[in-house]
Amino acid sequence: MKVLVGILVMGLIAVASLAATAIGSTKAKTISVAIVANPQMQDIASLTPSLFTAKTGIKVKYTILDEGKLRQVTTRDVGSGGKAFDAVMIGMYEAPQFGTAGLIQNLTPKAKADKSYNYNDLIPAVRNGLSAKGNLYASPFYGESSFVMYRKDVLKKAGVTMPARPTWDQVAKIARKINSKSMAGICLRGKPGWGDLGAAFTTVLNTFGGTWWSSTSNGKPSKAMVDQPAFKSALDFYAKLVQDAGEKDAANSSFNECLAQYQAGKVAMWYDATVAAGLLEAKDSPVKGKNGYALAPVKKTKASGWLWSWALAIPKSSPDAADAWKYISWATSAQYIKAAGTHTKGGWASIPPGTRLSTYKLPQYKKAAAAFAAKTLQAMQAAPIKNPGTTKRPGLPGVQYVGIPQFQDVGNRCTQLFSRVIAGAAKDTDALSQCQSIASKAIK
Amino acid sequence: MNVAADATLRPTAKGQVGDPFSSPWRRRLPLLPALLFAILVTQLPFLVSIYYSLTDLKDKTQSLIPEPTKFVGIDNYKAIFSDPFFRQAMWTSVQMTVFAVVLSLLFGTLFAILLDRHFFGQGLIRTLLITPFLLMPVVAALIWKQQMFSSLFGILDKVLNFLGFSSVAFISDHPLASIVTVLVWQWTPFMMLIMLAGLQSQPSDILEAAGVDGATPFGIFRQLTLPHLRRYLELGALLGSIYIVQAFDAIDVMTGGGPGSTNVPYFVYQESIGGGFRYGSASAYAIVVVIFSIIIATLALRLLSGLLKDEERA
Amino acid sequence: MIRRARRGSRLGVGESRAAIIALGIAAWVVGMLWIFPVGWTLLTSFKTEQDASAQTLHNGLTFGRYSDVSHSTTGTLSLSAAFTNSLVVVVVSTVIVMLLALPAAYALAIRPVPKWRDVLFFFISLKFLPIVASIFPIYVYAQKWNLIGTRTILIVLYIAINLPLAIWMLRSFFIEVPRELIEAAEIDGTSLFNQLRSVILPIAAPGIAATALLCVIFAWNEYFYAIQLNFAGASTMPQWVIGNVSTRGNFLAKLSAASIIACLPVVLAGWAAQKRMIRGLSMGAIK
Repeated sequence: MKVLVGILVMGLIAVASLAATAIGSTKAKTISVAIVANPQMQDIASLTPSLFTAKTGIKVKYTILDEGKLRQVTTRDVGSGGKAFDAVMIGMYEAPQFGTAGLIQNLTPKAKADKSYNYNDLIPAVRNGLSAKGNLYASPFYGESSFVMYRKDVLKKAGVTMPARPTWDQVAKIARKINSKSMAGICLRGKPGWGDLGAAFTTVLNTFGGTWWSSTSNGKPSKAMVDQPAFKSALDFYAKLVQDAGEKDAANSSFNECLAQYQAGKVAMWYDATVAAGLLEAKDSPVKGKNGYALAPVKKTKASGWLWSWALAIPKSSPDAADAWKYISWATSAQYIKAAGTHTKGGWASIPPGTRLSTYKLPQYKKAAAAFAAKTLQAMQAAPIKNPGTTKRPGLPGVQYVGIPQFQDVGNRCTQLFSRVIAGAAKDTDALSQCQSIASKAIK
Repeated sequence: MNVAADATLRPTAKGQVGDPFSSPWRRRLPLLPALLFAILVTQLPFLVSIYYSLTDLKDKTQSLIPEPTKFVGIDNYKAIFSDPFFRQAMWTSVQMTVFAVVLSLLFGTLFAILLDRHFFGQGLIRTLLITPFLLMPVVAALIWKQQMFSSLFGILDKVLNFLGFSSVAFISDHPLASIVTVLVWQWTPFMMLIMLAGLQSQPSDILEAAGVDGATPFGIFRQLTLPHLRRYLELGALLGSIYIVQAFDAIDVMTGGGPGSTNVPYFVYQESIGGGFRYGSASAYAIVVVIFSIIIATLALRLLSGLLKDEERA
Repeated sequence: MIRRARRGSRLGVGESRAAIIALGIAAWVVGMLWIFPVGWTLLTSFKTEQDASAQTLHNGLTFGRYSDVSHSTTGTLSLSAAFTNSLVVVVVSTVIVMLLALPAAYALAIRPVPKWRDVLFFFISLKFLPIVASIFPIYVYAQKWNLIGTRTILIVLYIAINLPLAIWMLRSFFIEVPRELIEAAEIDGTSLFNQLRSVILPIAAPGIAATALLCVIFAWNEYFYAIQLNFAGASTMPQWVIGNVSTRGNFLAKLSAASIIACLPVVLAGWAAQKRMIRGLSMGAIK
């Protein structure tokens, strides 16, 4: 009996609290925004009440998710006309695809009409990467390319120099030379995932002359090209380099793991996102001031660095598109970048980088990011988003990914196989033939 | 809440002033709400899935808007058995479930035997031992991935190096074993609770009599305890496999799939909302899995004689 | 029925003192081994991020990470919001599960319907159906009926996942109720509700509590539906926890603190109810 009464009481409490929250919800203007759980995004969430809501009266409700889950829920919400979000943060991979499919609003008219937004200040490569047929579909909040970071002191001791525009053969040679028991030569991503190993590997694949798919004349995928020699030579090169001179437990390493090992002095070089430089040169970083930076290594192409941006877009189904734009034009403005420099804990070095040319003219930022700001901008502008390889390919713009919906699945499943190859647990030929069948099936 | 309570109970209560339970329909009445709910919420989606499985429903914009589709008959089903990845996932599922269930039953039984006696701190140790079962599976997987297995942030690597062994890339080199470890860690306490229940329900007078007769502890265990525990072992195996065959969180968190860790549920997820967006064929996979599950479950339930056999009361 | 409670108390029969001590030590070793990952996480949660990543302890122990995760910024999913959502979803779904399962278990155990075996089997087999297999149709209809991001959709689905288990367990507890008592009640013309209340519940109470607790555990810890259907709006605790995972920066200490907070309510409930659970399982789960 007691139990029954207990259960009923608990039920009543629950119903009461349900009712209470239903009544308690206020009718103030609130927009709902989904963002990715990275440091710069967490910063803007904490600055929004004082810098945005206080001025406009618009409250912002954030949904913060890790990259993978954010992608899942935003694509689904945007795609199915859900009304969960007024604005969503999407990647450069999604923006042109969603734009072409008519799922998100064309921001060009708003961006050009809004003087304070300053459309022409956006870094051209980033703007193009987020556009389809000349229409901007998402406003960049954060941008990055990839380059090589290396310990100047370690290279000097070994008597080698890093060229400003190295080739992969040069980088591999240096890595093998400086590799030692206590310090690996280079940290390369090996963790499965199209955005992890997939991104780093695809830049290598591009410059080795390979591609995931060949292209039809109208830019659609035509045939899977994973079984081609160029693909194999890229994978073999990558896997061999990691096995010879790479980090510990490579098959589990991505950005965070490499960052930790580089900071702990366990690797001497690192090929990854340009945003890492800000963390290596941060005030409390043990390797501050010891690092050199070089452009992404090449083989057959002139440039190979990737280009990525997290950008804010307005779904077609957005319940409050006008306020969503007000928010986006504030969050991605030059003014916000300046405000972030003075208001956040990390200071100028931790502002959202890689979106606007004006960022790289700010004296405070140039000083805080002296070691890498110029190299970062150079890398971003060099990223070959319209012509990443040696042959025509589908899904452009895009460097480290193929801008077609099937790539996520193919990239995820193939990098799971490649990760095993890197770990030495599977044969390259087996992985490639399995991946070939995944890639062919996907575009059928 | 009271409304719901009344809705389920009152009609029955009213209807039995005279001779209760005279008609079979009255007897069925208490069952109906649960049955209706289960059919509505769990069976209807499957009917929809069956329909999808006969179409070529794909989602090129990844939007979950069912696009105009073509009826393709049983083409999706034909393709299933030639898919090596699906076979691989089936095999992984079998290994994962069998290893995890058997090991957690084994450990659970051993721990229960250890705990079924007085010793200093008995209550505390039992409390510590059941804790992993109470944790969120996603938290358990994160703990093991980041703080145990990771060769960078994890403690196991330090311990191995301290003991003079070289590092092991647990998750990348042994994905199946890593996931099974986490499952066993979480499910052993549950098995332990069931086995403790079994041990504590042994009639003590028989055990004492056996002791007086001079039987050895091992003899008593083999001759008396083990047969008594059989039904409890069966129950543990059944409940454990029901949950473990569905393992998803640990795979999603620890490996994100891959050879040796993609089980059937994760495979279906990858084919559909996890990135493949081929709903037509993914539904066909799902239906095949359901059919397999039902066959296996039928066999298991009929074989586990003790669980459903009991005094007929009607 | 009362006689069978042995409480695992006395010495095992015919064991030497040394063996008893050795087994006690073995139990301690096993207990420490099993709890170690949790203990280590607890330690990490009091460290700074630098110490957590490097497994060192240079900066001492603080409650800093706990205050970091519990004082979330305005507008983001706060601990209190996620906690309330979880609490409502778990309590409401468990209550409804019990309200559906109690009469159903009665109909399967005490007054078995014809073909009760098949009905029971139907319920159990529901648990074998892969959840992922039905997520797509569920999503499509949830979207149609505006249920995405609501507590309602999670409540409905959690009832569905816990109902089979609850019916199965309650049925086995009900079988334990002596038949004579029920017959006596029937002769008196007692209604089903009163029978449940005055005859069955007092005897089956520990079992009912154990069942409800299991439902609470599974609902509180559920992650897949929570993340797929309720990513925004009324998000629950698992999502609050994984909101601390970042791909660009260290997060171990914060994640540990969040994990401890998120798991604590159910862990405490489980600790408090462990004896009752063992008793519940021993009472009838077998028959």
